[in-house]
Amino acid sequence: MTTTHESIAFDVLFVGGGPACLAGAIRLMQLARQKGLDLEVALIEKGADIGAHIISGAILNPTALKELLPDYLERGCPIEAQVNADAFYFLTRKKALRLPFIPAPMRNRGAYVISLSRFTRWLSKIAENLGVNIFTGFAGSEVLYGNGAARIVGVRTGDKGLDKAGAPKSNFEAGIDLHAKVTVFGEGARGSLMKTIGNRLNLYAGRQPEVFETGIKEVIQLPTENMFEDFGVNDIHLMGYPLDIETPGGGFIYGMGQGRMAIGYLVALGYKNPWLDPYELFLAFKQHPFVAHLIAGGRVLEQGARTVSAGGYYTVPRLYADGALFVGAAAAMHNPPALKGIHLAMKSGMLAAETIVDALEKQDITTRSLSAYRRRVDDSWVKTEMFAGRNFAQALAAGVPLKFIHLAVQQLTGGRGLRDPLPTHSDHTTLRPAKSRPAPAAKATVACDNTLMVDKLTGVYLSKTKHREDQPSHIQVHDPQLCIDRCLPTYGSPCTRFCPGEVYEIVTGEKDAQPYLKLNPSNCLHCKTCDIKDPFENVTWTCPEGGEGPGYKLL
Amino acid sequence: MEIVVLLKQVPSTESLVTIAEDGATIKTEDVNWIISPYDEFAVEEALRIREAVGGSVTILSVGPDKATEAIRTALAMGADKGVLVNDPAAVECDGLGTARILAAALKQMPYDLVIAGQRAVDDENFQVGPAVAEFLDIPCITLVIKEEMGDGVIRCHRTMEGGTAVLEAPLPMLFTTQRGLNEPRYASLPGVMKAKRKPLENKTLADIGLAAADFSQPLVRVTALKPPPQRSGGRMIEADDAQTKAAELVKLLHEEAKVI
Repeated sequence: MTTTHESIAFDVLFVGGGPACLAGAIRLMQLARQKGLDLEVALIEKGADIGAHIISGAILNPTALKELLPDYLERGCPIEAQVNADAFYFLTRKKALRLPFIPAPMRNRGAYVISLSRFTRWLSKIAENLGVNIFTGFAGSEVLYGNGAARIVGVRTGDKGLDKAGAPKSNFEAGIDLHAKVTVFGEGARGSLMKTIGNRLNLYAGRQPEVFETGIKEVIQLPTENMFEDFGVNDIHLMGYPLDIETPGGGFIYGMGQGRMAIGYLVALGYKNPWLDPYELFLAFKQHPFVAHLIAGGRVLEQGARTVSAGGYYTVPRLYADGALFVGAAAAMHNPPALKGIHLAMKSGMLAAETIVDALEKQDITTRSLSAYRRRVDDSWVKTEMFAGRNFAQALAAGVPLKFIHLAVQQLTGGRGLRDPLPTHSDHTTLRPAKSRPAPAAKATVACDNTLMVDKLTGVYLSKTKHREDQPSHIQVHDPQLCIDRCLPTYGSPCTRFCPGEVYEIVTGEKDAQPYLKLNPSNCLHCKTCDIKDPFENVTWTCPEGGEGPGYKLL
Repeated sequence: MEIVVLLKQVPSTESLVTIAEDGATIKTEDVNWIISPYDEFAVEEALRIREAVGGSVTILSVGPDKATEAIRTALAMGADKGVLVNDPAAVECDGLGTARILAAALKQMPYDLVIAGQRAVDDENFQVGPAVAEFLDIPCITLVIKEEMGDGVIRCHRTMEGGTAVLEAPLPMLFTTQRGLNEPRYASLPGVMKAKRKPLENKTLADIGLAAADFSQPLVRVTALKPPPQRSGGRMIEADDAQTKAAELVKLLHEEAKVI
């Protein structure tokens, strides 16, 4: 099929409607106004609206926000609550032990509890009022290269109106080539375009492998009389049960006011046990007596899942290419010990914008001028903050008791620790063979009432996820036979567990009684866990038709 | 050909609808909003007719500020201009009231053809389209799955039990849409850009010659909304043999379900 793609030229194109690109677009327009530059700026977002695919805890460290919009309070920034006190618990099977000491990076008193979905929607209105062209429901499907394939010149948006076989339907709408002098990629953790650029332009050379966590989050409406608000602490972090001590991860509970609470659970994707199911862990976490007490009587309003780029400083890729800059979680902007990245994402976007304005003013948009972005990052508090926790995630990934020794020494040496940088492994390489671990007797059967305890498919419903069925699968399994011949016997098909949306099923064929992989791409929450964790790298996540996927409002 | 599409913004079908404190309305704060799907068919058909015979497509809606998003989407699909009757007095309207407002607005603009969804998927009233035709005293054909434009007439196919009926009416007329009429196009990216510059007029009831006071007392009022009954899980009857199970089943059907 030959399709012609109309093209539109902009000065700057942002790919992704998260805090990094939105803060970047706002800063860009602010600077352009100051300098009297007339810029045509576009931002594309694959979600139906800004915020539809955005999910985070979230505690916001307001440092970057204050720099970007000092009058954010007057502008009606949606803040759910202010952290009144922190608590840090270690959970055993039955008990919750409150730790007497909260690690400095995790002290959040005075910071804001936000819904990142709401927050980004608010940022988008500001960006739009400054003249940014925001196109929601348009996914970037392909990076456009020019100048002998060395320069990134823009992004092609995805075609719409294809049938299951990939043939155009009566309402087919070809993707558009968006050309820009500079393209800023901020697709969030494991961006699908970022991955292709990284491989093609070697952005990850000489870096520690990027590592991730999968987080599942809910917003729960509590009854008028509830234990959580009586408890009085609205920022609670919990580690221990139901995870074993080997696997990093943990839970959080934040108060959002109005009887609403954000609750979530994250598991590092460097886990070894192929039987592990992050969703089951989340359910078990919610059933722990301490947690169950706090959420009692509640009703889940919304649920979602997303991976987090959790590796920190040494996993940050090369931040620039000819014609492009990389910002936010797509560029591993995250502070692992503080469990925060929104402020770093925003700041990275702002520094990218400053770099772009400089380059446009000098009319020198080359790798040389854009590389100043990396220097700006290193000269800012982004580096100071990320550098202190540079070996943290890697220490946690080590075995017991080594991880505790690493952490203790890092604590004493300002993050340097025993080895600096401390090496670690790519998440897809860490699974142990299924037979080395006891298989769970049967799938853990947590009783789900689908009000407070919600099963996977009800969770998909509560994420308001929607995909048109009649389109090519956006989940590409390169060799389905490998799933059966090698993955099933070796690892017991971990995709059927690590996917929080039940996209993957191994079913038995009716005719030949042979197992085969059945995909349910319309359940996909766009979390990208499969793209990261599949032990054979047999899955590539691509964007489905723009405007599809989750429809978050509160996460 | 001057074509007017009647369009309503409604909560998306994926939205979790919860009933507000008053028991008669829904909570709207966390809801995603879309063009009512049958109205989307109307927009698409209007665009196809314009492409075939020329003319212009106007989107007409009654709603709050937020409804401009839905109109902009229709403009991005290719419609030429939008008119929103945006008046706090219109909020409480029943179907007939909405139809009176739309008819009054239509009387101020040229139209050869009016296309409406068969119903809005929120209230499910099925009233507005035909009532507008009545107020305008023009022919109305409902549930159309195919139309053919002739010289001053339109021929419409509509489904009926076990077959299709073909009806003809002179212009100006109004028809309502049925699933199968077409596959609505997407709002293209250039379309979204152009839509920002297309005219979108806000009008009050006074602007279209109506008195707000006439709309304070709807003829029909929603007194209560109720969610569908909660689905409870099935129950397995445990017993050693089929006979005992059957006996227990009969007992439960008689005593608990009270169906036999």
